[in-house]
Amino acid sequence: MTDQIREQLSALLDGELPPDEMGLLMRRLEKDPGLRRTFGCYALIGETLRAPGGRIASPSFAACVSAAIDEAPVLVEKASTARPGATVQVPQHVALWKRPMVRTALAASAAVSAVLLFRPDVTPVAQLEVAPANSFTMSASPTPAQSQRLAGYMVAHSQFSTPMVRRNVLSSLLAADPGIARVSYEMGEAP
Amino acid sequence: MQAMQNFPPPDESMKSREPGDEDAGLPAGAEQSDLDLVRRAQQNERGAFDLLVLKYQHKVIKLVARLLRDPTEAEDVAQEAFVKAYRALGSFRGDSAFYTWLYRIAVNTARNSIASRQRRPLDYEAELSESEQNNVAARLKHDDTPEATVLSEEIRQTVNSAIEQLPEDLRTAIVLREIEGLSYEEIAVAMDCPVGTVRSRIFRAREAIDRALKPLLD
Repeated sequence: MTDQIREQLSALLDGELPPDEMGLLMRRLEKDPGLRRTFGCYALIGETLRAPGGRIASPSFAACVSAAIDEAPVLVEKASTARPGATVQVPQHVALWKRPMVRTALAASAAVSAVLLFRPDVTPVAQLEVAPANSFTMSASPTPAQSQRLAGYMVAHSQFSTPMVRRNVLSSLLAADPGIARVSYEMGEAP
Repeated sequence: MQAMQNFPPPDESMKSREPGDEDAGLPAGAEQSDLDLVRRAQQNERGAFDLLVLKYQHKVIKLVARLLRDPTEAEDVAQEAFVKAYRALGSFRGDSAFYTWLYRIAVNTARNSIASRQRRPLDYEAELSESEQNNVAARLKHDDTPEATVLSEEIRQTVNSAIEQLPEDLRTAIVLREIEGLSYEEIAVAMDCPVGTVRSRIFRAREAIDRALKPLLD
């Protein structure tokens, strides 16, 4: 560590280092813990002169911070303290699939694919064998009253189904129109 | 300082900060220097952020220690604040000074720490016997004057002593820089010498003080 390098370090602390000298000095700093110690000491001198007294950091403090960052080196996270509307810059090293928007889009695509590929059989319900005594009675052409009841049922019981299931049911009903029979869930209702 | 009486007071352009500013007291050029380091850290140059930690560690710990009820937690909370700052660095655009931004993070982290302590269900001291409470009290009393505080006082005395022993040109340069916050160019005008000489004098002053501090810090 020459005097010239330490003089550059002193100028860096003061914001007076020419930009063309900065790159090389930064690379040296990364490799040389002695140089970092010197920088910390120069900073301590200034701090002591400007605001004497109070607690100071222990010698290992900066190394502890560095180790803590290494444990979870996520560079970008929108801080609660950041100004509202501040731009979040995503570093290039973050893999594409890890970015929030891309993740959301991928999840949505996967969900749609799953619905389309693995949707329960939408065989026309008219062809289903249904126990006549206790449950669903089908009607090839539902009456307005039946349609109203069905809509009411969907609204009243939507809390017991997931959004995906609700979407499937609605999709099925729409796809079935007009060829597929509508289902009336009214127990024991006569056709 | 005595040396300051030889030079005209800095004009308004040199002292643009208001007394209430969080970053008041930072010398001229510090903000630009910080911004350069932040930009490098945002490009994943970790060494640049390490320098910001080295630069502000004492300032943040002092701040946090003043806010916390238990100053012995200051280093933990300050560490958490620096980690948060690193993670949020992508959102820093340089609209304010870096230290102002770091200051807010540190204050919020300290507040959260205080709040989480208050939420803890057990009253720690209520669970202790009388003798144990005496031990805790003794330990807390000891923590009121921890090694760090003693070291801080020794450092202050050493720095002051080292400055007193500096040749006048070095002492003047370092005082104008660190206490008065003048830029190299302003110091060059005040001392009637080239900017390169100012840079060299400030460096030599720091080196001399560093040598005096070395036995304390190593």
